[in-house]
Amino acid sequence: MVLVLAIGDLHIPHRAPDLPPKFKSMLVPGKIQHIICTGNLCIKEVHDYFKTLCPDLHITRGEYDEDSHYPENKTLTIGQFKLGICHGHQVIPWGDLDSLAMVQRQLDVDILVTGHTHQFKAYKHEGGVVINPGSATGAFSSFTYDVNPSFVLMDIDGLRVVVYVYELIDGEVKVDKIDFKKTATASAH
Amino acid sequence: MLIIHYYCGTIQISQKEINLEKLQRIASTGIPEGGNLRATVWKLILGYLPPSRDLWEKELSENRKKYAKLKEELLLTPSELARMKEEAFQSNEHNNAHSDTAGPLIRHEISHEDHPLSLGKASVWHQYFEHTEIAEQIDRDLQRTHPEMKFFSGESSFGRKHRESMRNVLLLFSKLNPAIRYVQGMNEVLAPLYYVFSTDTDEKNASNAEADSFSCFVLLLSDSVDHFCQQLDNSSVGILSTLSRLSDLLKANDEELWRHLEFTSKVKPQYYGFRWITLLLTQEFNLQSILRIWDSLISSPFGIQEMLLRVCCAMLLCVKSRLLSGDFAANLKLLQHYPEINIEHLLQVAQDLTPDTSYYRMSS
Repeated sequence: MVLVLAIGDLHIPHRAPDLPPKFKSMLVPGKIQHIICTGNLCIKEVHDYFKTLCPDLHITRGEYDEDSHYPENKTLTIGQFKLGICHGHQVIPWGDLDSLAMVQRQLDVDILVTGHTHQFKAYKHEGGVVINPGSATGAFSSFTYDVNPSFVLMDIDGLRVVVYVYELIDGEVKVDKIDFKKTATASAH
Repeated sequence: MLIIHYYCGTIQISQKEINLEKLQRIASTGIPEGGNLRATVWKLILGYLPPSRDLWEKELSENRKKYAKLKEELLLTPSELARMKEEAFQSNEHNNAHSDTAGPLIRHEISHEDHPLSLGKASVWHQYFEHTEIAEQIDRDLQRTHPEMKFFSGESSFGRKHRESMRNVLLLFSKLNPAIRYVQGMNEVLAPLYYVFSTDTDEKNASNAEADSFSCFVLLLSDSVDHFCQQLDNSSVGILSTLSRLSDLLKANDEELWRHLEFTSKVKPQYYGFRWITLLLTQEFNLQSILRIWDSLISSPFGIQEMLLRVCCAMLLCVKSRLLSGDFAANLKLLQHYPEINIEHLLQVAQDLTPDTSYYRMSS
């Protein structure tokens, strides 16, 4: 059982002052083993905050991030799964699933975690699964102002991943669950 | 002598109906190493094995199954639990259809307790994380248990497996006893039990050492588990009451020494006896000596706690001359780092003590 937090597009302080309090009260240290951040934090304080939650932090660069040294994309292996991170502003058309699938194949990963659209998505295609945790603060995006704050927590357990989707809708936290398995013979790259 | 002793012990336990009284008498003079005598005798006298040999297989099998079930209920991660539940429901067909289609993955709404970040007290996730702190303490203590012995320490898969088994026992105990949970030192009390059962020459017994030592750990502590509960310290069942009984026992047997400790050097029992008693002397002697002492404790007709008090009193008597010539600091140092001693002699002194009359008053 490995818990991985996928979170991003906070846009602190430019578009949002902080994470919603109801999210903050749940995000406590000691539970999460890895944090994957799609980018657009945008300031160091957010980076430091994530570090207090979990020392193993992986961030990719969003176009508004103060720290320009974050990589454009990153891959890591957790248990049986290869994960890739890419903010997504570089992938055009933005949010286009075919283009993202291509990035995923290039990175050769089972799960691609990407952001930029500020809209939660969990999508399966031939090359694997794409997960967009949305914006943790509900910051407005290039597309819309109507954004519910959201983030994702993945439980990687053997060949199975349980994705918990946390959304703040009308002031209440709603949690959904998504299950998927990797077949042992998959990813013949 | 040892051979005759071994023979007598083996005859006793090979009877169909074991005479526990006879067995206790033999055991109190020390159970020989070798074979599986000690493991079997301890299990018998603690009450884990019934005196009727015919019932052994059934009892063991049932108890070991119960243990496995407890582990399943209490030691699995919420992840594993959820996975097992789902595997029970899902059919294969459903699985295959699901995994071949491309498209958005299906979302299922879940309750406020069913996710890892839940803060609800009833949430299995919340309870799991509360226990990881305890588990971490247990792991730290296990690393320090008998570090000189490969059986317990070291990075071999061997040592690791033993620590993992002991961790399961202690974690399970802490979950079943929320008023006490885990207290540092319980690892030391478990160690001799687990060691003896794991080194049983009967393979089946050795491989079930974890389950057997869990049950015997509970049995061993059944009279004294309150010593671990801080809230009960001042009560009639708490450690301070027991320590005052130690004091009374010493007074009844050697008033001179008692006076010197209590008044002259002011070394009160709680300064040295707390650890002796709560941890059943596991921190005062090496493992071999502990095993011999526990033979006497477990088989004593007085009961474990009474015999323990006697051994503690004997420990004081055996270093009487050093104590009489010592002041507070010297005596404390001596008793907190008890010197090597002839264990047979110690146990003989314990055996020969005048009974503590206050005990008999309490027990009637």
